[in-house]
Amino acid sequence: MRYHLDLYIRLVGVQIRSQLQYRASFLMDSAATGIVTVLGFLTLALIFRRFNHISGWTLWEVAFLYGMVEAAFGTMDMFFSGFDPQNFGKQIRLGLFDQILLRPVNATVQVLASDFILRRLGRIIQGLIVLGLAFANQDVQWTLGKILYLPVIFVSLVMFFGGLFVIGATITFWTVESIEIINVFTYGGSEMMSYPMHIYQDWMRRFFTYVLPGIFIVYYPALFILGKPDPFHMPQFAYFLSPVAGFSVLLAASVFWQFGVRHYQSTGT
Amino acid sequence: MDQIRLFIELTKKALQRQMTYRAAIAAGVLTNLFFGLLRAAVLQALYVGRSEVAGITLPAAITYTGISQATIGIFAAFSWFAIIRSVYSGEVSSDLLKPMDYFTFWLAQDWGRSIIELLLRSLPIMLAYAVVFGITVPHTAVQWLALAAALWLGWLVSFAWRFLLNLSAFWTPNAIGVARFGFVLSWFMSGFLMPLRFFPDWFVQICYLTPFPHTVNTVVEIYLGLLSGPEILMALGGQALWAAVLIAAGQLVLQLGIRKLVIQGG
Repeated sequence: MRYHLDLYIRLVGVQIRSQLQYRASFLMDSAATGIVTVLGFLTLALIFRRFNHISGWTLWEVAFLYGMVEAAFGTMDMFFSGFDPQNFGKQIRLGLFDQILLRPVNATVQVLASDFILRRLGRIIQGLIVLGLAFANQDVQWTLGKILYLPVIFVSLVMFFGGLFVIGATITFWTVESIEIINVFTYGGSEMMSYPMHIYQDWMRRFFTYVLPGIFIVYYPALFILGKPDPFHMPQFAYFLSPVAGFSVLLAASVFWQFGVRHYQSTGT
Repeated sequence: MDQIRLFIELTKKALQRQMTYRAAIAAGVLTNLFFGLLRAAVLQALYVGRSEVAGITLPAAITYTGISQATIGIFAAFSWFAIIRSVYSGEVSSDLLKPMDYFTFWLAQDWGRSIIELLLRSLPIMLAYAVVFGITVPHTAVQWLALAAALWLGWLVSFAWRFLLNLSAFWTPNAIGVARFGFVLSWFMSGFLMPLRFFPDWFVQICYLTPFPHTVNTVVEIYLGLLSGPEILMALGGQALWAAVLIAAGQLVLQLGIRKLVIQGG
């Protein structure tokens, strides 16, 4: 464990140093990767000038979801890039995963450390700015519990999205053809969770409740923190399922990943 | 005459190449449909208690989410780095030697690509939308003709813009970053995320200083019948004008670029 941690830090450290070699280029890339976040929020804000609210939620209430999801997705994308299905699928196709398996080091650690994208900081920072604006523009009845819960929600989101990346990467062991489908769950999931879940059709919401517990990750915590009514009348503990849901998805993903690695057959090229 | 035959041959080759990505296109259709569903849900929730906003009824707004997803493929709205890759791989040197204008060489191939996208991606998306939501359709033959013209001109504008973005590879080793930025701008200003009519006037005016609305937004407005006779002509004229400007700019930049180009030797 200790050995793997040292190795991870060393491998990631090398990448950070190399990415910082070209300062100007790094700063520009960071700004560009985050610009989608800011422009996306500006679009939302402009749209709200005409519509005022989205089924009972104000712009700043939605901004809580949006900022949280963006910052957490950016964080996940920084740490889990090695598992990004698009890139990992390419490695599988080129047979590069065989090299990883040949090295006498845990494959998971190698994949995790294979791609650490520091410029995602741009997206994280811009997500946090939106989150800050959300708090500054509404009266949240803060309690100690709510303040302590915030970082828990954040980490749960990171685990949830990370789990989706790992599941997506694992699927590429069997097929690299229809990889774009996985975007539905990763990018689609993050877009979906940026809005209050009660706006979606029942079947979509049920899927993200009972199959993939996305609804508990940020929507229920938001109801608790912002003091919004629960349209589905779930038991009160649903507010606090965020870490349970996030951890279960990551756990299930890593079991699936281990299974995939054990049954991996090379492309043979 | 030879040039026309070459053009058709290149288009055919591109058609065949794009056909080999059938599975990817099918996956793309499902992805586009899912995002369309999300957008439709957001618009439905925004419309609660209203039947019409800025001249757009709720059924028209739902139809809009289908159109905006259906045009992604035709306009290659998310990414298109073909020229950048050819510059970095060195293929560009043989492409420039071909007995054909360099812009037309790529135009012919993109034409083939976008025909396949129209048939295998845009049409299935609109059909699925028609089944799931029940869409509105243009009422008159004039509207259908105008729609065809708007799609074609919109494709031309999008291609000329992508060509220009890709030429940045002649100058910088980080052209993909530059081009990606150009694509991001177009999402926000083309009316791809929301119909431009929903935005404040000042924002729409800024958008119309760029070529972006002349792709998705014009197609949307003509399809939904938001424009009347002379306005349709104005819209198509705007597209034609921007296509001409971007093509001319592309030629100019290309001439400058070729002088600058250093082929990576092997």
